[in-house]
Amino acid sequence: MTLESVRTHAGAVRVAGVEHVFGSRGDTVPALDRIDLTIEPGELVTLAGPSGCGKTTLLRLVAGFMRPSSGTITVGDRTVRGPGAERGVVFQQPTLYPWLDVRGNVALGPRLRGAAKAERAARAEEYLAMVGLTDFADRRPYELSGGMQQRAQIARVLANDPDIVLMDEPFGALDALTRERLQTELLTLWRTTGKTVLFITHGVDEAVLLGSRVLVMSPRPGRIVFDEPAPFAAASADVDPVELRASAEFAAMTRRVREAIA
Amino acid sequence: MPERRRTPAWLPAVVTATGVLALWTVVAASDLVRPAYLAPSPLEVWDAFVRANTYHEIGGGVDRVVRGEENYFLWEHLVVSLRRIGIGLLLAILVGVPLGLLMGTVASVRRVAGPYLDFLRSIPPLAYMGFLVAWFGIYDTSKIWLLFLAAFPPIALATINGVRGVREDQVNAVLSLGASRRQVVTSVVLPATLPDILSGIRVAVGFAWTTVVAAELVNGLPGIGGLAYLSGTQNKIALSVACILVIGLTAIALDALIRLIERSLVPWRGKA
Repeated sequence: MTLESVRTHAGAVRVAGVEHVFGSRGDTVPALDRIDLTIEPGELVTLAGPSGCGKTTLLRLVAGFMRPSSGTITVGDRTVRGPGAERGVVFQQPTLYPWLDVRGNVALGPRLRGAAKAERAARAEEYLAMVGLTDFADRRPYELSGGMQQRAQIARVLANDPDIVLMDEPFGALDALTRERLQTELLTLWRTTGKTVLFITHGVDEAVLLGSRVLVMSPRPGRIVFDEPAPFAAASADVDPVELRASAEFAAMTRRVREAIA
Repeated sequence: MPERRRTPAWLPAVVTATGVLALWTVVAASDLVRPAYLAPSPLEVWDAFVRANTYHEIGGGVDRVVRGEENYFLWEHLVVSLRRIGIGLLLAILVGVPLGLLMGTVASVRRVAGPYLDFLRSIPPLAYMGFLVAWFGIYDTSKIWLLFLAAFPPIALATINGVRGVREDQVNAVLSLGASRRQVVTSVVLPATLPDILSGIRVAVGFAWTTVVAAELVNGLPGIGGLAYLSGTQNKIALSVACILVIGLTAIALDALIRLIERSLVPWRGKA
């Protein structure tokens, strides 16, 4: 544990008895079936599952974009009633704003809070450097590749300093090489910042490699059918992820996760 | 490989224009249209255009010099018409954009006000003219009201359309950065809607321009539409044709100007 992660935190995310149903009157689709889940501060929780199982629904409920049909979601001692700056969201499609350059996008959170110009600029530079986009600060988002856009989006979320980062298949649309590089970057960021992360993925490898704790959700209506701690995210500080992936432990856990999904 | 000479892009346009002018000259010189003054040649139209922009002798043996036409140069007639649509359009933007933003973001306002906006849009603006003259007199006030009524529905509707087309996650993203309701509008909804607003303004300008020219049939002097009408009724056909050409070219220039503004204000259009 580094000193970083000891600083005051919004607290644990508690999902208690959450059910969610889409549609209304007669034509309803149950999406989530009684989810009970506590994410402790500093955890990197990966949530895997087949597409359409409701994992994105769970993330959007925690983000506050929707209210659950029943049950409650709390962060620390506060009930989630809408989106909030303490819960940053990295979307599957980078939602960067084309009317701002990359720097303006990254500095948006501090600007909304009314931070002074110098502070905004400093924060933007810091996080652009962190994701390796310093040279692209003056570009518009649509001039960047998909991987760079995703990095810019992550920088924008981190520059706003949320305690909790919710990531919805952020690397799903990227090519394999870019994805692996960003996975490594994410692990570095997580270890150095001590953020709480909920990471949705449909990739079993990705879930096992990145998670300090791995969850699996069943097909709709989604329930959590697998919940185990995983050592690889922490170990990646000392061991190359390529080696971790090749290890017997990694293969064993991947197999168990795969069985849980099937 | 020998380099192939390509025809320049402007060549077809120049050839076509020359052909049209030549055909026009031939028709004007022939006996196809009678009496002959009904079919002025391009040169006569140009002559009328020049006279309308200068001090010239009244002609017919009368030794009097007049200023342009109806005491205004033709370009001044044009400027007066442009000023009318400028004011009408400005008012339409000031009302249409906030109204569109409000109707686009608040469902209840949209439900209540929507049908009225659709109704207003469906009325040909000139239908208001008699009513507006009765209310505001025959001078500029009634014309500016008319242009406002012509221009604001397309702007408001385009704005509503734009707001409704804002991607949900673009709003969610800024809310998750801690934006207030007001900040959502100013920092996401408004800029995201800007391309649609500008499209609406482009439609409105075209609409307002046709409307102002027609509206100037009633006490429209000075005004380019008024001059086009008056000169026709006075059998000054060459001048009337000159006015028509100026009206058309102005419409094209206005459209080009707005496209230019679009390109500089929303460089991301079509890219994101």
